[in-house]
This record gives sequence, structure tokens and C-alpha cells, in this order.
Amino acid sequence: MRRALLVVVAACACRGESERQRAADTAGVRAPTVTGARIAAPRDGPAGEWGMPGGDYANSRYSELTQITAENARNLKVAWAFSTGTLRGHEGQPLVIDSTMYVVTPFPNVAYAFDLTQEGQPLKWKFRPRNSQAAIGQACCDVVNRGAAFADGRLFYNLLEGSTVAVDVRDGKQIWRTRVANLNRGETITMAPIVVKNLVLVGNSGGELGVRGWIAALDTRTGREVWRAYSAGPDRDVKVGPRFKPFYAHDRGKDLGVTTWPADAWKTGAGAVWGWLSYDPELNLVYHGTSNPGPWNAEQRPGDNKWTCAILARDADTGELVWAFQVTPHDMWDYDAVNENILVDLPIGGTTRKVLVHFDRNGFAYVLDRATGEALMAHPFVPMNWSTGVDLTTGRPKVVPEKATAQGKKITNICPSLEGGKNQQPAAFSPKTGLFYVPTINLCMDFEARPATYVAGTPYIGASAPEYAGPDGYRGEFMAFDVTTGRKSWGIREPYPVWGGALVTAGDVVFYGTLDGWFKAVDAYTGEQLWRFKLGSGVVGNPITYLGADGKQYVAIYSGLGGDMGVLIAGDVAANLPHDVRVRGTTLPDIGRWTSWGGVLFVFSL
Amino acid sequence: MSRLWYLLPCLAIAGAGVAATNDARQAATPVRADTLRFVAHDDYIPVGMPSRARPLSLTNPFEGNRSAIATGGRIFVAYNCVDCHGADGSGAMGPSFQDGRWRFGGSPAEVFESIYQGRPEGMPAWGGRISEEQIWMLVAYVRSVAVGDLTTENFTGLAQERMGH
Repeated sequence: MRRALLVVVAACACRGESERQRAADTAGVRAPTVTGARIAAPRDGPAGEWGMPGGDYANSRYSELTQITAENARNLKVAWAFSTGTLRGHEGQPLVIDSTMYVVTPFPNVAYAFDLTQEGQPLKWKFRPRNSQAAIGQACCDVVNRGAAFADGRLFYNLLEGSTVAVDVRDGKQIWRTRVANLNRGETITMAPIVVKNLVLVGNSGGELGVRGWIAALDTRTGREVWRAYSAGPDRDVKVGPRFKPFYAHDRGKDLGVTTWPADAWKTGAGAVWGWLSYDPELNLVYHGTSNPGPWNAEQRPGDNKWTCAILARDADTGELVWAFQVTPHDMWDYDAVNENILVDLPIGGTTRKVLVHFDRNGFAYVLDRATGEALMAHPFVPMNWSTGVDLTTGRPKVVPEKATAQGKKITNICPSLEGGKNQQPAAFSPKTGLFYVPTINLCMDFEARPATYVAGTPYIGASAPEYAGPDGYRGEFMAFDVTTGRKSWGIREPYPVWGGALVTAGDVVFYGTLDGWFKAVDAYTGEQLWRFKLGSGVVGNPITYLGADGKQYVAIYSGLGGDMGVLIAGDVAANLPHDVRVRGTTLPDIGRWTSWGGVLFVFSL
Repeated sequence: MSRLWYLLPCLAIAGAGVAATNDARQAATPVRADTLRFVAHDDYIPVGMPSRARPLSLTNPFEGNRSAIATGGRIFVAYNCVDCHGADGSGAMGPSFQDGRWRFGGSPAEVFESIYQGRPEGMPAWGGRISEEQIWMLVAYVRSVAVGDLTTENFTGLAQERMGH
């Protein structure tokens, strides 16, 4: 307990420090915080396009565009807007390729292609796929979609019902459609795929419905499944073979995906792959996280529950597991490890290391060697009290016994809450400052586990966990974080969890949106607010930037409250359901005063 | 001549309707199970042609029974209803029950049908998975959690709960 307090105190101390840093910066110091840092897999396409969900394979969400700067950002204005025709959470981001913008909506997952060469941005086409209505109720946390991938004139994306589609960008016609997930077992798909060589990589959602998690590779030309790897189960299914060399000894052994579970529990043990994917072309490794184990009631699954709450590195061509790092073994708090892995080369201890940076739900910012899976550093980035730190000799977090959850026992004030110190909203990295720009959450929870019954296609949870504002009463903070020291350079406290992602540009401007509907531009060095605009609905999506056909720099963002935070937690924010009128939520009691559901793409320029 | 051709089917339907209405009046209540045709959804499906079939009217054997409502509340948790419909039926991915509003009707028979046969957008069919008695207890429970009229939410005079910016 005493050690737990120390972590919180340390977090508070770095806040004081950030204020001093900020004062120094506004006095005119605009130097990189970390020098010599670089993006591991920078984009190979034109700087004026946005061709992948995360901007590049490294998931940096960094753009080289420089027209919009810290000096002129105050002149940003709405250039155009488009209603997607759907309500619900607009997570994800558009793509821009060859003066065409591609937008995928939440369920029913309509795709739009906008002609950016013409005034008014008319549609080239729209694609309205069949999509099972039953999927709406199988999705745990709103009917979101996190975007499309693009390759060789084809747009690839996932339907909530569990299918992947390939659409011809010339005419909007479907080229193929492959059913990859089983809706009757609670599997849906919300994640954005990536394309590596001739493969589209997709993974399932359903960590709250007792699914069995997997990632699969489909042939871009035919949609045929080339490989599929499960997160748990026998080595054959997990694709553990001679190439599997985890860094830590306790991660080696036969069939750990079976032996770290009670009999057969891995079959309904989740480890879903619903987050962001990264790829290192040099190592030919794909990196993905896995979700919480099912059910949340940890007493029903003694053991480490491999490979749930883990980061896995797989051969892109075969799916073979090359290394694995279990971020939260035997998770008791719903700390999924699906947040994005950002691939950078960082100066650490006098040398440049090839690393993967991961801001986990559990509140630690992990820096792993991306070739071996060795944990180099793990600093807390939000107030936390469930762990006193990560033992780097084993990679395992040191758990505060009082915060271990248990059946029939209410454990109070666990920080961060099950939403995590950060959730799906991706961070951005600037090689100019060497800093990560991180949208975070400051919620704590009371957690009481209870027996869960597995009924296929229904939630498999076994816990109740009310959430509330964490230390100091704010609920989110957008921050610039130095992972090499664990220090926050600056932070902007927000009244609500920051559930939208970040974008940083070579113009030293950072963009992000808030749950109550503000879209903001801030200075990458100081965090000083440069500009803000109140959108029609809260932001849970990720900004992108591109060059228009007119040569001007634009910034695009979805306005559309939803997702886990905007639907399950928010309470009274819908207006289109006369049969379903809700009371104020207790976690974000005032949110309904500031925003409601929506679905509009906004585009800004100088 | 051609006009009469169009009218004939209409007359036939109208005639059948009159006959059915008479039949229904003659039938003694309660209606036997094998004659039941449908459950009314007055809130959801507007009346079209005058209906000749008598709607299914079932009464909940546990209506107002406190101990059955409490058991229903436990079943609500045990069978995972709580994870979609929220703690105390406050709403999550599935609709709230606290507003006392019902998309497919709120009479005991209508709620029974929603649970028994499922609904679009993900409500599973529980008929055959749990007993009819358990479904009736769930009906009693979900109809008991309404908190009052939520039509107006007035923010005036409330403190703004904001930390940050």
C-alpha cells in the first residue's frame, strides 16, 4: 500500500516538473526533448497523402506537412463537412490517396469515396454492403469501425458482422467478400486492417463475449485465408514453432496457451485482436496486442492465461509467433493490451535501440526491443495504484495485493479503471521533438467479481465495476510524454476521458478532439492551445492531414460521439431513440449537457 | 367490369373481417393457446386493416410478486442480461428499462415475447434455454425498475461538473 502511494506521488511530482518545463519552453526554448529519435518505418508514399490507418506502418501518426504551423494555426477554418448518415461512435480515420478521400462509417459500414479535385467534394461512389443487424447487439462497446486499408487500387475493410470486403476504388464495386468471424459465437470485427505485401491482416473483437481471439491473413487478390493464428490454445493453433524465442524464460515451454488455463477455459478465454497493427519491413514482423481474458472474473481462470493481455510479434508471411510479451499476466482488471505499438528507433543508454512503444491500459508506457521482446523500460504515465512497477528482469508487473480483484469482494479505488490509462485512441510521435502525444484517461473503479455463465453470443464478464474521476477530479489528460525518462513534458487536463487519437505534424502542431466536442490544435513543444473549434458531436476518432488537389494542407476529423465511453458510459446522449431515454451516467454525469450522438466529417484549412 | 374485379378481393377481406369479429365475440375468454395468433405491439406497429384476430393476452403469474421480482433480478445478472442492459436496467448496448418505454411493447405478454423469441439488433432468443417461469420472473423484474418520467432533463441551475481546460 505504501509503495502504491509512492507511484501516485511520483506522478504528481512530474506534473510540477512539467509546469517548470512549460515555463522554460514558452520563454523561447524550442529544442527537441529527445534527439536522434526516428520513425522506424516512415511512409513511402507522398507526404500529402494518408494511405494507412496510422499514417505509416510504424503507427506514428506523424505528417511531414508544414503549411499549418504553431504561428498560423489560429487561422484554421472549416473548409467543408459531410454527414455520414449514421450516428454512433465514429472511431478511426479517413484515408486520402490520389486526391480521393475514403471514409468508412460505423454499422452498417458504408464506404464513401470523395473526389477532392472538385468543389463541394462530390462522391465518386458509395458502397453499401449487406451487414447482419444482429451484429449490433453482439458488439460489446458500440458499433464502431476504425477504418480501411488501401493497396493496389483496392480498399479493404471489415464489417461488424465479421466479414472483410475488398472494393475497387475505380468504381466502388465489390471485388471479394470473405466471412472470417462467427457472429453466433459473439465474434464481431471493428479493427482497421493493414496490408503487408499481398496479405490483408484482420482480427476479431469479442473479448467481453467469451470468443477465442485470432488474427488472420487474407490474399488481397482473392480474399482467400492464407493463415490464421489464435491467441490461446495448442502451439499449432497459436503458431508456436521453432522460430518462437520469447525473451523471458517463463514464456518458454510447450502449449502454454493451454497449460496456463484451467481445462478448456482457453476456448472461451478471449485474447481478441481488435486493436491497431504495426509492421517492421526490415524484420518482416507484424506486431499486435491481445485483449483481456474472459471472463473478467479472474477466479474462473487461474494461471497466466497466455497469450491474453499480451504483445505478439509474428512473421508477416506465415503468422509464426517470433516473440511474445505478456503485459498483464492473469489480468484481473480488464487491462487489454490492444493499444497501438509505435515503432521507433530511440537513443537509450548511449546507443540507438530498435524499439516498440506501447502505452498500455494498465498505465505503464512500455519500451520493448522490437526484435527480441525484451522490456527496456516501463514508466507509469497516469496516476495508478494497482502496481508498484514493472520488474524488468522478468517483464512482469508487481501487483499491489490489496488491489487484486476477487469474487464476492468489492475492491475499491483501483486506478486506472478498466478503461485503462489509455484505450484504443492512438498516440502520435514526432521525430522532431522525440515526444509521444498521448490521449489519456484518469478514471478509477470499484470492482466486484461474480460467477459468469458462458452462453454463446451473450456477454461473458462476471463483474460489476463502477467508474469515477481519478485523483484531482479531472477525467482525462492530453500529454506529451518522454518514454526514455518517463517524464511528462506538458499536459492538458480535460473534463472527460480523451477518447480520440492524436496527430502531430512537422509544422509542430498537435491535433486532437475531446469527448465534449472540442477539436484542438496545440503547440508540440509547449502544449499551448493555438486554436479550438466546437464540433457538433463528441470526438472519438483520429485526425489526419493531407494536401488537397489545390496544394493546400487540410486536417480532417470525425465528429461522432460513441464507442465504449460514448455509449456505454455516457448515459443521456442519444436523441433518436424514443423508446430508450436514459438517466445521466454516473461516470461522466455532465456530458449530455455538452454533446449528443452525431456523425459528421469535418475538414479544416487555413 | 374491370372496376368490379378490383373490388372483389377487398370485399372478400372485409367480409372475412366481419365474420372473424363475430367469432371473437362468441369465443369465451380466456383464449385457448391453440387459437392464439399474435401479440399486439400497439406502440410499435400501427393499426392497418382492422384486425380480425384476437391478440394474445397473457398475464404474468408473478405480476407484482416481490419475491419473484427479486429472483428475476438475480436471473437478470446470472444470465448476463445485466451486461447488455446495464446495472439495474439503466441501459448499455441494449436499451434501458428505467425509462418505462418499450420498443416492442411493455405489457407482460409483449415483454415475455421479446425475451422468449429475441429481437433484431442482437437480443438473443431465450425460449428453450431457460424455463418459462424464469422468463416470467424476468418480465416482472424489468417492468419493476422504471424510475419515473425522463421526458425532460433540465440542466438549469445544476452545477457544471467540469475539471480541466
